Amino acid sequence: MNLLMQANLWANIPVGEHLAFFSPMITLVCTMLAIVACPIVLGRGSRTTAGIALLGIIATFILALRVLHATTTNGVSGLSTDPGAGLFIVDGLSAFFQVLLIIFLAGVTWLWWLGSSANERNAPEFFILLFGSALGMSMMVSSANLLMIVVAMETASLPSYAIVGFDKRDRLGAEASLKYMVFGAICAAIMLYGASLLYGLTGSLSVADIARFTVANLATGEHHLLLALGLLCFLVGIAFKVSAVPFHFWCPDAFQGAKIEVTTWLSVASKAAGLVLLLRLTMIFCSVVGSPADMSLIQPLAWTIAILAAVTCTVGNFSAYKQKSVKRMLAYSSIAHAGYMLMAVAVFAHPAVEGHQAGMVALLVYIVIYLFMNLGAFGVTAMIVWDTGNDDIKSFSGLMRRAPFLAVPMIICLVSLVGLPPLAGFIGKWWILLALGSLDSTLGWFLVIVAVLNTLISLYYYMRVVVQMTLRDEGDPAVQSPFGGLALVNICALMLLILFFRAHPLKTTTDRFARTLNVASLTTPSPDNAVASRFIEAD
Amino acid sequence: MNILTLIVFLPTLGALLCLFVPKSQVRAVALAASFLTFIVSLSLFGTFFGGGPEGDPDVFGADYGTLHHITRTPWIVGNSFTIEYYLGIDGLGFPLLILTTLIGFLSCWASWNFDSWKINKGVRAYFILFLLLETGMLGVFVALDFFLFYIFWEVMLLPMYFLIGVWGGPRREYAAIKFFLFTLAGSVLMLVAIVAMYFYSDAAIAAEAARLGTEGIASGYRGDGTVISNGTFDLIELAMNPTIQAYFGAKTTLFLGIRFAPLMFIALFIGFAIKLPSVPFHTWLPDAHVEAPTPISMILAGVLLKMGGYGFLRVCYPIFPAGAEVWAYTLAMVGVVSIIYGALCAMAQTDFKKLVAYSSISHMGYVLLGIAVMTTAGIQGAMFQMLAHGISSPMCFFLVGVIYDRAHHREINRFGGLWLTMPRYGTLATIGFFASLGLPALCGFIGEVWVLLGTFDAGTKFAWAYPTAIVAAFGVVLTAGYILWLIRRVYLGKEREEYKGYTDATGRETMILIPMAILCIAMGILPAQTVFNFTNGTLDNILTHVSQTIAMLM
Repeated sequence: MNLLMQANLWANIPVGEHLAFFSPMITLVCTMLAIVACPIVLGRGSRTTAGIALLGIIATFILALRVLHATTTNGVSGLSTDPGAGLFIVDGLSAFFQVLLIIFLAGVTWLWWLGSSANERNAPEFFILLFGSALGMSMMVSSANLLMIVVAMETASLPSYAIVGFDKRDRLGAEASLKYMVFGAICAAIMLYGASLLYGLTGSLSVADIARFTVANLATGEHHLLLALGLLCFLVGIAFKVSAVPFHFWCPDAFQGAKIEVTTWLSVASKAAGLVLLLRLTMIFCSVVGSPADMSLIQPLAWTIAILAAVTCTVGNFSAYKQKSVKRMLAYSSIAHAGYMLMAVAVFAHPAVEGHQAGMVALLVYIVIYLFMNLGAFGVTAMIVWDTGNDDIKSFSGLMRRAPFLAVPMIICLVSLVGLPPLAGFIGKWWILLALGSLDSTLGWFLVIVAVLNTLISLYYYMRVVVQMTLRDEGDPAVQSPFGGLALVNICALMLLILFFRAHPLKTTTDRFARTLNVASLTTPSPDNAVASRFIEAD
Repeated sequence: MNILTLIVFLPTLGALLCLFVPKSQVRAVALAASFLTFIVSLSLFGTFFGGGPEGDPDVFGADYGTLHHITRTPWIVGNSFTIEYYLGIDGLGFPLLILTTLIGFLSCWASWNFDSWKINKGVRAYFILFLLLETGMLGVFVALDFFLFYIFWEVMLLPMYFLIGVWGGPRREYAAIKFFLFTLAGSVLMLVAIVAMYFYSDAAIAAEAARLGTEGIASGYRGDGTVISNGTFDLIELAMNPTIQAYFGAKTTLFLGIRFAPLMFIALFIGFAIKLPSVPFHTWLPDAHVEAPTPISMILAGVLLKMGGYGFLRVCYPIFPAGAEVWAYTLAMVGVVSIIYGALCAMAQTDFKKLVAYSSISHMGYVLLGIAVMTTAGIQGAMFQMLAHGISSPMCFFLVGVIYDRAHHREINRFGGLWLTMPRYGTLATIGFFASLGLPALCGFIGEVWVLLGTFDAGTKFAWAYPTAIVAAFGVVLTAGYILWLIRRVYLGKEREEYKGYTDATGRETMILIPMAILCIAMGILPAQTVFNFTNGTLDNILTHVSQTIAMLM
């Protein structure tokens, strides 16, 4: 046990050394302020704003890497002694996610620069909203306190609502934004209600306390109805972020209505943040269970997530079938992928520490791969939209002839989304299947079967786009696309190939972060918690 | 460099080269690559010569799992497992590998007239996909790590999809996606089985190691003292490790409440049966065959269908003998139904290509029957039948292609008297179709007779074997019926006016047909020297292993 930092945020006033752990978030805030302030001096041009944003992204990236380095190599695990008690956790998981988020933010900014910068008059506002939601997302993955979670999720959500309807003259965008906001507000209200129930029952806002209460409750067999209701209501909020069925209705509309760079942003970042948050919460539940044998106590929670995952995956895939708009199809596909990723979370009730780790690693690897798949697929769609003005599946016809350097990466991304070798999407699925198989329980095998059947179901609608690109040709003119965009999508496609043939480095890297999470949030000694020692030994 | 790696990736190298050469040179590069692959693969004969009945006993070894040209390197290393790049070859993979390189080369040559096809755009893409497909096929026959096997298995799908979908006939889109969906349905079942087999073998090894108080247990087939302490994807290890076998086969080993071995067996079986294809999973085949361009039909019939049979012999039977026993009756029935149903369907076709496609279903039914009865003659006959069909059916498809190129239709009833118009073509066609018919002294005969004999042999252990054999034998009559009828309608009779000016088979066409014709005759006359000497050692080992394991589990 080498927790170097054991300071409580409220007990000790944080010193610079501690604040260093927040430096990426602080930089994000500073960038936002700079974007507000600079127009006064430098004007509101797209170029200026993008330049400041770029500087902010670079700075944040460097700092995030430093935090990542600190959390993994020195065993520094953040500011909180008890992962549940503190308001904020900085550990390998959150740092890793932040790095990913910043990479993705850079990709989205790049897309925006290519597509929208030329005739965008409100660039500063756009970036404030974008960075604001990024800030909220990086807070989400660092919180394990009901209050903090709610604050973080709203910080992520509110800018997202606005950014979906950013173009005021676009009716579709405005409608999408309104739907998204109404739906989000309802889910947030339900989540708050759940949080208030949980607080009322346990007298604590700390997830660890709530987890202890729940486990004790399950152990005695009382099955407190209010507790179950509270937990479920709280889950609704996260399910909304992840766009799990039945809280997914906002997703296709918002994705279709929003500008494509915004869609890209929401499809990966917002979901990933929700999933990592859920992962952290489930980890806390695991860590308070008494012994491996008692893991069966939290089986009901695992089953809840498993069923959510199975339903999300299946509904997402079936809904994607008849879509004519590629953006909308990709929205449903992202719902289905949220389902796959939820499956990785459902592994949390594994009796052995390697088991949780396998689930965690599977999720993180999947998020990384998913990032490239979606960035690539949306990137190509974006360039089609910019060129032809719509994202109808028909506008993809004959793409193989019209723009082979768009068609080939698109095929690679789509086939990878199906999850076929030799592409990284298969590796992502493979780790999830292995993690599920290692449970060797009904739940695990049930999800394995659901996952592979869904692969089969999804084949058809992804191939519809491939069919349009390769087998049909209506003689449309060649697609003009910016070189930067071509580079972006081809790099994504190349990454998908590399991550398949060299699957190992990514896995070992995420393994290291997953292990620090085990140190950080599962091994924390706390007097009323005998579990901890088990995890320390295991490590 | 390991020779198998070389063989598998030579086509890929060719594909990379195709990216850069000028358009007019692409087909030459592709042909050179596939020819080179064929030549290199022939060097494997050096290893397997002398493996006959009185030959060197080391070639096939005393046990299943005697491999040659092994290469194994860790590829993906997890916390507790290793996925290996593991290639090796034995009497099961070797003949199929040679078949693949040969048919690959011949069908590449058959694509030579690409420019005169109806859809002749994208020559570069066509040959690149073709060569990638060949890599996938070759990989399947030499990969011995189940994960790697699966990768190669799946790698074939996409090239095949495009080859049918872009360059196929009028209903190509439908046929291509149907092929894709059917095969993927089979492979996802396989994927579940891979994951399950890994964890169940892990459990078996952990239990045994705990009992012995050791770190791990000795490998079941590697004599070099390797200790395995985790679950494995090694197809031979899964079959030959007594601990794993005992655990897999035990009646108490359950998967979701169902006995493990029969369940996994049938899941894998369905995956492979779709590829074979056997009734009721066959419906993709006629569509795919009819719509695919001629060379792709040759590949489909010659090689892809064999993967199903290969999968049975490599995965299903050695690893789950208990399942084989439970399902023997069902499998044999499916086999017989395929034989009869395929033959009856073939008889009803008026489309030349569809007839050949249905005849494939019928012929592959013999493969399934021969394997299902688990007798020496049966399994040998099944293997022979795969190879014989691997030669005769590409030949038939090419024969159809030759006439289609000239007549632009495939209506059997509109043909007639072609032998008079095109004597060279007619002669070769007769050899091809008679081989398919199973005329004695041609390759189709040996396989069918061996399978039927094997089925009769099984009468001592299965009460249903005799009636099955009798019904299956009736299939031979049906086959003779539709092929003779076909020959009468297409090649015999009066010369027709509309086909009068047709040129006989060109030099290229003849050169493609002759190797296959020679093999049809050679395999019919010298079955031992051409096939059995190379396969029987391994097949007998597999059978011994299967029956021993069944006896052990009793």
